[in-house]
Amino acid sequence: MALIELREVTKSYRRDAIEIPVLDRVTITVAEGDYLGLMGPSGSGKSTLLNLLAGIDRPTCGSVRIGDTEISSLPERALAAWRARHIGFIFQLYNLIPVLTAYENVELPLLLTNLSKKQRRDHVMTALNIVGLGDRAQHYPRQLSGGQEQRVAIARAVVTDPAVVLADEPTGDLDAKSAGEVLTLLQRLNQEYKKTIVMVTHDPRAAERASHLLHLEKGTLAEQVKA
Amino acid sequence: MKFISLVLKSARRSKRRTALTVLSVAIAVFLFSSLRAVLDGFSAATEASSSTRVITIRSTSMIFNMPTSHADAIRSVPGVQDLTWANWFGGIYKDPKNFFANIAIEPESYLRMYPEIIVTPEVKKAFLEDRTGCLVGSGLVKRFDWHVGDTIVLKPGIPYYGTQDYTFTIRGVYKAGSSAVDDQTMLFHWKYIDERGAVHGQVGWYVAQLANPDAAARVSQAIDEKFANSPNETKTDTEKQFQASFASMLGNLNLLLGSVALAVVITTLFVAANTMAMSVRERTTEIAVMRTLGFQAATIFMLVVGEGLAVSIAGGAIGAGIARVIINGEFLSMAGGFIPQFGVNNWNAIAGVGLGGLIGVLAALIPAMMASRLKIVDALRRVA
Ligand SMILES: Nc1ncnc2c1ncn2[C@@H]1O[C@H](COP(=O)(O)OP(=O)(O)OP(=O)(O)O)[C@@H](O)[C@H]1O
Ligand SMILES: [Mg+2]
Repeated sequence: MALIELREVTKSYRRDAIEIPVLDRVTITVAEGDYLGLMGPSGSGKSTLLNLLAGIDRPTCGSVRIGDTEISSLPERALAAWRARHIGFIFQLYNLIPVLTAYENVELPLLLTNLSKKQRRDHVMTALNIVGLGDRAQHYPRQLSGGQEQRVAIARAVVTDPAVVLADEPTGDLDAKSAGEVLTLLQRLNQEYKKTIVMVTHDPRAAERASHLLHLEKGTLAEQVKA
Repeated sequence: MKFISLVLKSARRSKRRTALTVLSVAIAVFLFSSLRAVLDGFSAATEASSSTRVITIRSTSMIFNMPTSHADAIRSVPGVQDLTWANWFGGIYKDPKNFFANIAIEPESYLRMYPEIIVTPEVKKAFLEDRTGCLVGSGLVKRFDWHVGDTIVLKPGIPYYGTQDYTFTIRGVYKAGSSAVDDQTMLFHWKYIDERGAVHGQVGWYVAQLANPDAAARVSQAIDEKFANSPNETKTDTEKQFQASFASMLGNLNLLLGSVALAVVITTLFVAANTMAMSVRERTTEIAVMRTLGFQAATIFMLVVGEGLAVSIAGGAIGAGIARVIINGEFLSMAGGFIPQFGVNNWNAIAGVGLGGLIGVLAALIPAMMASRLKIVDALRRVA
């Protein structure tokens, strides 16, 4: 059984009286341990699709199942708790909390668990060491480079050890070198730590690292077999 | 709780804005605590004042005196059991800033009729035997660091008592036995100032002791009727009414101060609410990120309310603390013997901190609602 399964997912936004269709009966399955790249022109619905997987948005109709949870039917509170346990999310603009240190940013999702302070410290330092920033724990986001910020954000995404990591253009705001580091890191997460990854990207070099590629075009799917 | 440091860090995000909010809450709470204390002082005095004592003053005003001959006339009114009198001396101790009530009394009858003025029999004897002796309240003694046996010189504040200094010897310290009297008053012999004054045989007010409080209205009327159509018409009230009418002289001021304090509190509420709404709006993305990480809407709500509470309790504590320290019996004793025991006490201060907290919670409600209700994807799109 696939880890992630979207079936016949349709999503449309309503702006005033106008219905804007974004996704039209999209069906996708992602196997456990897969690294899926999601490409497509701007406005094709890539972020929307990722948000549905993350459980921060709901489909207009269709089913979104991850593991054995049908998340499209979870009530709001349960959905938030589910996100905390199962999803790591990486944003294009890192979105670290500026008043918190790297350490505190990574610790943030752990505040929702029952872990003791010491256990949290162990998890945070492990995550920071994986991304190679163990020595930057006490730095604030403004004291870090864009690439470092994104690596802290990756540490925050994996610190709770979620099965699924979702990334929305994680290299979109980075120079080539930092982008390369981030992509290598994601690849390690996939291969070494067995994370299932879905990554939205415009960047062909990023797409190269994925094990599968899907192409979204105006809300419908055109699968591309990786060369 | 592990979220507390998160709340405090959020509050420190914009230090200037937080400081200004703290300050405005502090000012509102300061004003409110001080006013509360004044009102408490008035009502405590009115509550504690006796209704078996009636006070007779000149109908025109308290500052005009009456002849001593009124004493016998009042004594002859049926229902009057005892009588004493006193004058407002208005003496100045070194500097007008050192204001306190100093009152010339008919010593024996006054102490007899005011058991609330507590002195030991030895002190009472020493005071009665010394024509230039005085009794001082325990609060005054503390304020000026006086000791029994010290000589106190007062400059007459009313031309009526001449221009030469009056010298008194402290014969003892009294304690205030109820809120009806304060511990900030100096009492001395009426005879001493009557002999030295420019005009003799003048009394500021008479106090009559009644056998039965139910007769107060009738006796008061009977006293005033005695002097009707004389050059020295009188107005007699129970001590309670007297306190109340004195308070009502300041009553309009109270209403004014009360409205001002309320307006300040409400304004502060709006300012704080607006400030918090602003800071929540600035944090839209961050809140959306926290929601994405799995924070519940209710947790976000509590974090924002917690931030409002932390900031406003800090402000409340500062405002109430300052009020507690500077507004006390020694400060603002302008009302003299008439608003005894006036000052911000611990309860006023605690109520002030509570008010601060309430301002914070109320101000945070709408911003917290905004924060907890925002749609994650919309909030994330807004910046990205
Ligand atoms: N909350 C919303 N309200 C209205 N329209 C929306 C909303 N979210 C997305 N859309 C619309 O849905 C379409 C797809 O948006 P989406 O962000 O998924 O595209 P994308 O493929 O991620 O584009 P990009 O590559 O620019 O990030 C766009 O036309 C967008 O305007
Ligand atoms: Mg997008």
